[in-house]
Amino acid sequence: MKLTSIKLYNFRQFYGKTPEVLLNCSKEQNITIIHGNNGSGKTGLLNAFTWVLYDRFSAAFASETQLVNKRAIAEAKLGEPVECWVEVAWEHDSKRYRARRICRVYKNETDLNPGKTELYMQVAGDDGKWYPPPQPPEEVISEILPGSLHQYFFFDGERIEQIVRSDKKAEIAEATKMLLGVEVLNRSIRHLGEAKKTLENELKIIGDTKTKQLLKEKEKVERETERIATRQTEIFQELEYQQTLKQETSNRLREMSAVKELESRRQQLEAQKALNQDSLKKSKEALKRLISAKGYTVLLPELTAQFHSITQELRQQGELTPGISREFVHELLNQQRCLCGSELHEGSHHREKVKGWMDKAGIAAVEETAIRMIAQVDEIDKQAPTFWEEVDREQASINQFRQAINEIEQQLDTIQERLRKDPSEEIRNLQSRLDEIEAKIRDLTLEQGAIQQQTANLQGEIDTFNKQIAKQKVNEDKQALAQRRITAAQDAIERLTEVRNRQEQQFRLHLEKRVQEIFSEISFTPYLPKISEKYELTLVENTTGLEAPVAASTGENQILSLSFIGGIIDKVREWSERKMLMVPDSSTFPIVMDSPFGSLDERYRRQIAKIIPSLANQLVVLVTKTQWRGEVAEEMTNRIAREYVLTYFSSKPDCEQDAIELGGIHYPLVRQSPNEFEYTEILEVDYGF
Amino acid sequence: MNNEVNINDVQEPILTAPPEVRQIIERVWQVEKSRLDKKSLSHINDDILRIVKEAVQ
Repeated sequence: MKLTSIKLYNFRQFYGKTPEVLLNCSKEQNITIIHGNNGSGKTGLLNAFTWVLYDRFSAAFASETQLVNKRAIAEAKLGEPVECWVEVAWEHDSKRYRARRICRVYKNETDLNPGKTELYMQVAGDDGKWYPPPQPPEEVISEILPGSLHQYFFFDGERIEQIVRSDKKAEIAEATKMLLGVEVLNRSIRHLGEAKKTLENELKIIGDTKTKQLLKEKEKVERETERIATRQTEIFQELEYQQTLKQETSNRLREMSAVKELESRRQQLEAQKALNQDSLKKSKEALKRLISAKGYTVLLPELTAQFHSITQELRQQGELTPGISREFVHELLNQQRCLCGSELHEGSHHREKVKGWMDKAGIAAVEETAIRMIAQVDEIDKQAPTFWEEVDREQASINQFRQAINEIEQQLDTIQERLRKDPSEEIRNLQSRLDEIEAKIRDLTLEQGAIQQQTANLQGEIDTFNKQIAKQKVNEDKQALAQRRITAAQDAIERLTEVRNRQEQQFRLHLEKRVQEIFSEISFTPYLPKISEKYELTLVENTTGLEAPVAASTGENQILSLSFIGGIIDKVREWSERKMLMVPDSSTFPIVMDSPFGSLDERYRRQIAKIIPSLANQLVVLVTKTQWRGEVAEEMTNRIAREYVLTYFSSKPDCEQDAIELGGIHYPLVRQSPNEFEYTEILEVDYGF
Repeated sequence: MNNEVNINDVQEPILTAPPEVRQIIERVWQVEKSRLDKKSLSHINDDILRIVKEAVQ
């Protein structure tokens, strides 16, 4: 984050619109100095930054609710809204940002009703076009520099030692952990764990894998199908065998002279029976075919009658006049000659007469279609009687075959009866053998039918299993995916935990080392800053060979605080540049410091003035004349990009005027207000370059 | 020098992660970071669950 400007409107001491205070800086000239006496609005300006960005104020900022300039309120009419705003612009990650926070109050008889503040933001990318950010402005700012860390970048130098006070130790530890990403790591690990739990529950809902069981059951049914298929083949062979046996037995009977004729007759009858059965079957099939192909014709007479009456009516109305067609009349007119040979010239009497036929003549296509349809419908009418005739014929055949079969069976029964009762034992035995074979064939045929039915049923079961298995496969895929997600989440947790472990060891030690370096560069004490495992910052001494905490003075604590801020900025910048996961994904940090080096003596002031500008990328310093003394000015002058002066207009009669000399020019610090209001104006120091 | 190596090692578990795991880590990091300042953590679980599901398809 690199601040580029700030502009105020009716904010606290600043009446009306201030000029834009430019904070642009380069690497070498990275300081903006704002001079102002006590009460001129330096703290107000510091808080203008934190108000816009975080809606927060520093401890020294009194009357937080009175943001709108008093003169602006005094000049407003009753009931009217009075507005104040601050606009801060900055650059971050090749984008430019402008954020403006507005506060409105409504002036009443007795008091002021402060409204809610509103934050607006515009962002410009490389193309220079400004647009509102896709996220809420607060989120955008939070991602650039989280609000919880703002006090380390925007602070009151006179109170900076407070950040290392014992009651603030936990706070600074939290902030450090946050900056280094420890908190983000902790939360990531915790929330990934929760996500993993949810995924595990989802896996449970998908259910246990059933595919194996289903496959097993399907296999069982398939085995059963195979078994009965084998049996089917066996039956088929057995039937053939029994038929042969029957034939042989029958032949043996025929060979016996006593019943030769009888048996031969029986074989004949059986052949006839088979023939008749075959014909009967064919007739039945023919009947079925007939009904399905032409059965509908008997249901049509009503419709065809309706069709006939419609065409009849049309004909009577002359709509279907058979005779000449329009096309024919048209042709005559084209040829300009009638069939009778008369000329049909344009405008002639004959032509008009022929033309008159156009209206009377029908359209050929319609007529033709009607004629064709009538012919087809007549055909349909004829089909119904034909159908009945054919049905009658087939039914007659069926009856005939049935009767024939019946008669043959009776004759066969008689023959069998005679053979069963034949005096010859051998014949009787052979007949009895034949009876047995017949019975066997009957049983086998029955079994064959049963097996066919069973096969169909089993096939149905297999189909159902196949469907279930396919469904289960989909579930299994889902399970595998859920499992992979759980594994990935677990892997992420483990890796983040490992990063946290390594970070705890490394970051803290590196940071501690850097803070120690900065501290020892400024301080002449032998004290050593330490960062505990809990990220708590303390100052220790080692004179007795044992580390003991130091009862540090305010000054030392201020140095410690600044060293810490400097160290953290330096390390976070370094680690960000190495693409490590840091909370501010930036390598540029501003420091806006009000009243720095408050109670420090000369040596410390000089050292801090020298070191801080080299640590922060950008420094905005708000100073009084006394704070901007020789050594500070000396150390900072070469790095100044811009300077501004806050001129305070006092409403106190005959107030003491004050001024500061910069670049050989006197800039007023305190002036007499031309009216009853006190206010501050901002002047840019002009060095003429 | 030793310290330099160690500091680089800090992120090694992330850098060596399989692509989908790395994607999860980086996206979760961004979500958590953007919510750092928020008191309410509602929907964070849904967001993280979505990240995992989108990363592993």
